[in-house]
Amino acid sequence: MAATKSQGSAFTLFMGGITAAAAGVAFFSTGMGKLALVLGVVVLAVAFFRFLKIKPEEGEVAEGAQPAVLRLAGLAAGFGGWIVVLFGLHLTASVSGRMVTTLIGFAISLVGVLVLLPAAANKNAIWKA
Amino acid sequence: MTDFPTPSATHTTTKELNFMRLVRIPLLLCALAFTLAAGAGLTARADAPPSATATELKDAAGKAPTTATLAQGDPGGTLTGTINDVPVADSKTGLTLGDVANQVGQNKIGVNFTWTLITGFLVMFMQAGFAMVEAGLCRVKNANHTYMMNFFVYGCGLFAYWIIGFAIQMGGAAGNGNLGGLQPLASEHLLNLFGTNWGIFGQSGMFLAGHTYDVGVMVIFLFQMVFMDTALTIVTGACAERWKFLTFAVSSVLMGAFTYPLFANWAWGGGWLSQLGVNMGLGKGYCDFAGSGVVHAVGGVTALACALIIGPRIGKFNRDGSANAIIGHDISAVLIGCFILAFGWFGFNPGSTLGASAAGCLRIGSVAVNTMLAGCTGTFGAILYMWVLKGKPDASMSGNGLLAGLVAITAPSGFVNPTGSAIIGFIAGVLVCLSVSFVENTLKVDDPVGAISVHGACGLWGVLSVGLFADGTSNYGGAWNGVTGSVTGLFYGDASQLVAQLVGISTLVGFVFGFSYALNWVLDIFLGQRVSAESEVAGLDLPEMGQIGYPEFVFAPEPEVLRTAGAAAVA
Repeated sequence: MAATKSQGSAFTLFMGGITAAAAGVAFFSTGMGKLALVLGVVVLAVAFFRFLKIKPEEGEVAEGAQPAVLRLAGLAAGFGGWIVVLFGLHLTASVSGRMVTTLIGFAISLVGVLVLLPAAANKNAIWKA
Repeated sequence: MTDFPTPSATHTTTKELNFMRLVRIPLLLCALAFTLAAGAGLTARADAPPSATATELKDAAGKAPTTATLAQGDPGGTLTGTINDVPVADSKTGLTLGDVANQVGQNKIGVNFTWTLITGFLVMFMQAGFAMVEAGLCRVKNANHTYMMNFFVYGCGLFAYWIIGFAIQMGGAAGNGNLGGLQPLASEHLLNLFGTNWGIFGQSGMFLAGHTYDVGVMVIFLFQMVFMDTALTIVTGACAERWKFLTFAVSSVLMGAFTYPLFANWAWGGGWLSQLGVNMGLGKGYCDFAGSGVVHAVGGVTALACALIIGPRIGKFNRDGSANAIIGHDISAVLIGCFILAFGWFGFNPGSTLGASAAGCLRIGSVAVNTMLAGCTGTFGAILYMWVLKGKPDASMSGNGLLAGLVAITAPSGFVNPTGSAIIGFIAGVLVCLSVSFVENTLKVDDPVGAISVHGACGLWGVLSVGLFADGTSNYGGAWNGVTGSVTGLFYGDASQLVAQLVGISTLVGFVFGFSYALNWVLDIFLGQRVSAESEVAGLDLPEMGQIGYPEFVFAPEPEVLRTAGAAAVA
C-alpha cells in the first residue's frame, strides 16, 4: 500500500483538529474558545482513530519488533540523566561540583540514547533475518 | 638672569597688609558672584529649550532643495534624502527636535527590521539547499519523495508554528530593543522551584492575534519561523527513502508545534536555560548565538530518535552487521545544495544579531567572517580526513564537512574570534567523519544523508565550543541573558560558562531526544512510521507521490543485495 485517499482525509481531520484545539486554547476565556477546544480534541481523537484503522492497509513493512522494556529503559535513562543534571545544580554551588554532577547526568543520558535504545532497535533488526 | 629674593629675605610691611585686606574682600565677592552666575548658567542650559537647534533646523529647512530643484533630477545623489524627508508632526510649528528624534528612532528600527527580514529570507532559501542535498544523496527512485518531504515540511512547520509554536517559544520574549521592544510578547509561564522562578513556555502570540498583531512581532515571527523550519527539515534526511509521507507530515506538524518551540523558549525565549546565569551564577546562562543547539542539535537528536524507531533501509546492513554503501544519485545536486546552504548561513548567523543598528550589532562583520572561516576549515577537516585515511577526497563527506563547520560555528559565531572559529570548524569537519562511521558501524543506525552527525554531533560540539572559545569581547549592549558582561569561555577564564553549556547539551540529549522519541513512538503505534517493503524496494516516488522524479531517465539496475533483501526483511 502507499499514500491513499483515506490517509489524506485522516490527515485533513488531524490538521482541522489541531487548529481548532489551538484556537480553543488561544481564546479560552471566551465561550467560543472553550467550544473550539472541545471540538478540536474530539476531532483529533477521531483523526487518530482513523490513523489506527487505516494503518494495516500499508501492508508488510521491513521492521523488526523492538522490545518495549528495553525501549522504556532507554527512555528512562535519557530522561533520568537530565533530571540528575537539573537536581545536581542545586546540590552544590561550586562550579567544579556542578560540572561533575552535570557530566554524571549526561553520561546516564548517553547510556540510554547510545546504548539501550540502539540495542532495542537492533534486537530484531531486519538485517538479522 | 633675574635674582629672586629668598623666602627668608622677604618681609611684609603693615601698609602692605592693609592693602591686601582691602583687595581680598572684593576678590571674594567677585568669586562668589562668579560661582553663582556659573551655576545659574548651568541650570539655564539644562532647562532652556534648544533655541539654537530650532534655529539650525529652520536654517537647514531653508537651505533644503526646493521642489523645482529636485524636478531637475539628482544624478549625484546629493539632493535626495534631506531635512525635507523628515515628517513633521504639526505643520503649524514646523520641524521640531522631537520630529528629528522620532525619525532617528524609526531609522534605527527600520534598519533592524530590514536586516532581520532580509537575513530571514536568506534562511528561508536554505530549504532549497536542504532539498538538493538530501535528494542528491538518495537514490533516484526516491527523488520525488525526498524533494516533496523537504517541500511540504515548510508548510507543515509554518502552519504549526503560527497556530501555537511561536507562542510557546516567544510568547514571553519581550524586551528586545533592536526590534522596538516586542512588548506584546510579555507572558512567560513561570515555575517556582527551590525558591527561584524558571521560565517554562510562552503564552502569547497564538495565531498572531490580539495584541501580537504588531509590526515588531511580525518580524521576529518570520525570522524565528525559518529557523524552526530548518530544524524540521533535518529529520527528513535521516529518515529518507523509507518514511511514510503521512507520518512524516504529522510528525513535522507536532515538532513545529511543540518539540522545537519548547527548547527554543528555554534558550531564546526567556526560559530557564537562558536564566542559568541570573539564577545560578553560571556564566551568562546557556548561550547559543544562532542555534547550533536550538536548531541543529534539536533537529539532529530528533533525527536520531526517528531513525532508531523507523529502522534501516532494506539492504543497508548485511547479516554480519557490516554496512553497504548506498550511493546517492546526484552529487552535483549535493554540492550545489551545500553552497546554497552556506549562502543561507549568512542569514542564519549574522542575522541573529536581530539588527544592524544597536549596541554591539556592528559585530555582524565578525559573525559573518567567523561563519565563512568555520565552513572553510570544516571542509578542510573532512577532506583531509578522508583523503589521508580513505585515499580519496570524498565529495559527499566534503559537503558534509562544510555543513559541519557551519553547524558548529552557529552557536559561537557571535562570541568567538576568527582563530577560534577556524579551530571549531576544523574539529567539526573531522568530527562529522568520525560520527558518520560511529552511527553507521557501531549504532547500526541508517542515516542516508549524515544528518545525525552533521546537525546532531556537530551541533552539540558547537554548543560546547561556546563554553571553551568565547573570548569575552562580544558586548551586545553590556549584558547577555540579563547578566552584565560579555560571554567568556573556559579558555578565557570563565569555567562556569562551560557548565551552562553542558546543562544545555544534557537537556538536548536527555529531554529533547526523549521527548522526540516518545512522540514518534506514539505515532508509530497509531500511524506506522515506515512504508511497506514492497514500496521501499520499488522506490517511493510512485507509491507515495504518484509520479517518479525523472520520468524520462533509464535507471541502472540496483545491486543484487538491495533488491533481494526486501523479501527476507519481511519474512
